[in-house]
Amino acid sequence: MEAGGRHGAMQGEGGMEATTQIRPDGQPDEAPAPELREAQATLLGRPRISIRLRMIISLAVSFFLCVILASATLQILHRVRFKVENLKSVEALSFHVQQARRFEKDFLLYGTSLDAAKENSEAALAIYEGQASRLRQSAWNGEAGQLGEHLEAYARLLQSLWEKRAVALQGDAREKSYVLEVESALRRHGSEMSGLSEQLVVRENASLDDMLRRSAAVTLGLLVLLLVLFLAVAVLLNRAMVNPILRFEAYNRRIAQGDFSPIRPARWYRDEFSDLAVVVNQMLAALKVHQDRCVKAGKLAVVGTLTSGIAHEINNPLNNISITTEALMEGFKTLGDEQKWKYLQDIYFETERAAETVKSLLDFTRKERLEMKPLNVVDVIQQTARLVNNEMAISNVVFEARVPGGLPEVLGSFNQLRQVFLNLFLNAIQAMPQGGRLLVTARMGDDGKVCVEVHDDGMGIAPELLPRVFDPFFTTKEPGKGTGLGLSVSVSILKKHGGDIRVESEKGKGTTFCVCLPSASDGSSKPEGEET
Amino acid sequence: MSQKSVMVLDDEPIVGDRLKPVLEKEGFGVEVFTDSDAALGRLKERNFDVLVTDMKMRGPTGMDVLRYVKENAAATQVIVITGYATIETNREAEALGAYQFIAKPFKMAELAKLVSQAAKEK
Repeated sequence: MEAGGRHGAMQGEGGMEATTQIRPDGQPDEAPAPELREAQATLLGRPRISIRLRMIISLAVSFFLCVILASATLQILHRVRFKVENLKSVEALSFHVQQARRFEKDFLLYGTSLDAAKENSEAALAIYEGQASRLRQSAWNGEAGQLGEHLEAYARLLQSLWEKRAVALQGDAREKSYVLEVESALRRHGSEMSGLSEQLVVRENASLDDMLRRSAAVTLGLLVLLLVLFLAVAVLLNRAMVNPILRFEAYNRRIAQGDFSPIRPARWYRDEFSDLAVVVNQMLAALKVHQDRCVKAGKLAVVGTLTSGIAHEINNPLNNISITTEALMEGFKTLGDEQKWKYLQDIYFETERAAETVKSLLDFTRKERLEMKPLNVVDVIQQTARLVNNEMAISNVVFEARVPGGLPEVLGSFNQLRQVFLNLFLNAIQAMPQGGRLLVTARMGDDGKVCVEVHDDGMGIAPELLPRVFDPFFTTKEPGKGTGLGLSVSVSILKKHGGDIRVESEKGKGTTFCVCLPSASDGSSKPEGEET
Repeated sequence: MSQKSVMVLDDEPIVGDRLKPVLEKEGFGVEVFTDSDAALGRLKERNFDVLVTDMKMRGPTGMDVLRYVKENAAATQVIVITGYATIETNREAEALGAYQFIAKPFKMAELAKLVSQAAKEK
């Protein structure tokens, strides 16, 4: 594949700074990220409903409802004021009616106050005429009409009484009988009018009460509606703000544990949090690149630790070849054929020995595609032990492997698993500067995984430091002796294999690392194989 | 002049095997060991004029053997072979009184010359 093109695509999408490093074998430095690209595309492909828009809409709806509430209240106030005005005039009408009747009595008994009675009845009639159209519209129409008729009749009778007053006082018998007739009609209309006007006051009072009650209900109802709306807005904002924050907390925990797979959309739309997810995904891609570099740095650091051992492993066979060649040249004429043959064999095998060392070193540092295939952990353990043979010899460490037969094969990359065990073995050896035993045991785990335990009886790790041993750049070794990358790199390798690593340690007694890997036959494990 | 004695100690069997005839040709009595514990046992029994020892070995190292020899038979000249020399080990060995260092891979003729020199200077 053309490396530059692949990288260019990533740059165009993420817009982030990254330098392309092409290795001698033409492999690009960074793994392609189709997973990332897909996640970003889906995130950006969702219809956009921003939080800002949602906030504006909910605030606008709330404001609109408040406006409705306020105008309804104003409307009610207006109507109440109207009612109160009505009540006032109806009460005035009733008052004038009562007054008129009192003066009417005075007139009938003592012949006085006819003017006052007439004035009051006219005032009542005027008020009635002002209200007539409104009163006639109500359900009270019939009675209102009657009240009007009585009022008019009463006023008319008073008027005629007033006109005939002089005659009545003179005591003309014919006129007198007419006056008596008028007086009885006056009493009849007066009592009707008075009863109806009182009824009207009661009615208007009841109507005002009713309106006040109803307006209270309407205001309360609108308040409840507003409360429901606010609750809905609260739920909406909660969903828009709090849920994504909780989700991002979960993402953070996952990322902190070393899972750098991109965030995928959790909703059908996108908003500001989706933009955040896109940026976090870019950060994850950058972190992954850095982690890959750390893996490489970790490898080189291990090689650095191995240098003295490697020098030995190469110088010893070189020396053997050199001195054997010298002996062969010296004794070319004098040595017997059998001796010469033995020397040549020595040279041959020592050359192979040196080549083997170089090859295993190259195998270890070479960057190659991660090929997951079924392999036997025993082979990995033995090959790794061979790499550290010299370190163990120097530190007086005895290697012992107790591996039962018939363990299932595990699915993994030989080189990567060897790097994991190499880290563990070197740590174990360095934990035992006075020598000791490096014991490797293997067994079937409870969950169908193959578990390998690496024990040392070295200095152990203090309990307060134990939780940090897998952190990048954490080391208990002296400066220059360890990078603090070995175990963190091992964790990421084992994660790729769907496995895990645990540690137990007792200060002064030793440390045990337990590596568990899914067996090759276990279909449930899905190691995410890409590239080293 | 009586025959001078040389002990060769290296956990690579080929080294002793090739050195023995060369040193014998030079007129030394040569004993070869590949195991440092066995060599220390032999050193308790008798003294050698020259000791040629590798530095890094399983069990007691060349440094341990050097220390033992300098404490118990200071006259023995010790030539140290190293596969991978560091300044620290060189200093330590010098302080302990090593006669000379020789790095692998070495030439046998060179080593034989060194042994003869050491034996003479004794």
